[in-house]
Amino acid sequence: MTRELDGLDLAIVERLSRDARVSNREIAETLDVTEGTVRARVKRMEQNRQIRITAVTNIDRFRDAALAYIWIEVERSEQTAAVAEQLAQITELGFVGVMLGRADILAVTMVRNAEHLARFVHKRISPLEGVRGTQSTLGVNFIKHDYRMARIVG
Amino acid sequence: MSSPAASNPVHIDLDETDQAIIALLRNDGRMAYRAIARELDIAENTVRARVRRMEESNAMRVVAVTDIGAAGYSMLLAIGVQVEGRAPEKVARELAAIDEVFSVNVVVGAQDIEILVVARDQAHLNELISTRLGGIAGVRRLTPALALDVLKNQPDWVPFHDA
Repeated sequence: MTRELDGLDLAIVERLSRDARVSNREIAETLDVTEGTVRARVKRMEQNRQIRITAVTNIDRFRDAALAYIWIEVERSEQTAAVAEQLAQITELGFVGVMLGRADILAVTMVRNAEHLARFVHKRISPLEGVRGTQSTLGVNFIKHDYRMARIVG
Repeated sequence: MSSPAASNPVHIDLDETDQAIIALLRNDGRMAYRAIARELDIAENTVRARVRRMEESNAMRVVAVTDIGAAGYSMLLAIGVQVEGRAPEKVARELAAIDEVFSVNVVVGAQDIEILVVARDQAHLNELISTRLGGIAGVRRLTPALALDVLKNQPDWVPFHDA
C-alpha cells in the first residue's frame, strides 16, 4: 500500500499538476517554505512512486484516433498473471490490468479505426499463449481523462 | 471543468526535435533545459522556445501525475455504462463532472460508455455506484470490474481540458 501524501505534499502536487516546469523557488515562495524543502519533497514523492512528472500529449492532435478497450479472457485462471506480463511488454498498450469481473484482463490502446483495432488484436493479442478470447469496444468520443491521476507502477 | 479546452489554439506540426524533447520530458518531466539541450546537441534557448511553443499550442503539457493510492484511493474500477432514453453524450458529460470518475469514453459495442473510477473503500464505492452514478438520468445499468493488479498505466495520450 502506497503511503498517503500529507498536506504540504498535496499543495506541492497541486501546483505541479497544472504545470510541472515551474521552478522549486516559485513553489517555495507560494507556499512559504524553503526551496530545499520543496526539492526534498518532490524527490521523495518521485522516489516513493507517489507522483510521476511527465509530458503528456494532446490526443485531439491526432486525426482518426480512438481509444479501444480490449477485454481478455485467459484459457486457465493460473495463466492470468503471465498473460498480463506479456501484454505489459506491448508498447502500444497504455493500460494493462488484471480484473475481477467482466473479463480477466483489461488492456487499453489507441487505434485509428475498427479495422486497425481488429488487426491489432488479431496480430498482437490473440496469438499470445494463454489467451482464450477477446472482446473489444471502440471509443467514439473521448470526453474526459484526468491525467493527474494514475496507478504508478515500476 | 471537463470541457475540452475552450480556447482554440493554433495547430502546430511537431518535428523530430520536438518529438525528441517530448521523449526526454516523458521520462523525466523535471529535466533541466540545459540538460535537454546538451542531450540533443542544440541551444538551451531553442529548447525553452520549443517547450513554450508546444505548451502554448496545447500540443503538450508537463504535469505531475499522482498515484491513486497516494491520493487516498484503494480501488480502481472499469465500469461499463448502458444508457436508455437519453443521448450517451449527455450522460457521459454528467459522469465526467464527478471527480472520482477520471476517464469517460463514449464507445460502440456491448456498452454505451466506458468509465474509469476510483474509490476510497467499499462504503464509498457502494455510495458512488448505487447513488451517484446509478442515479444519473439515462443510466440503465452499470457493469463494473475491479482492478486487482495494474501492470501498466501510461496515459500519454489524453484529451486536454481546462485544469
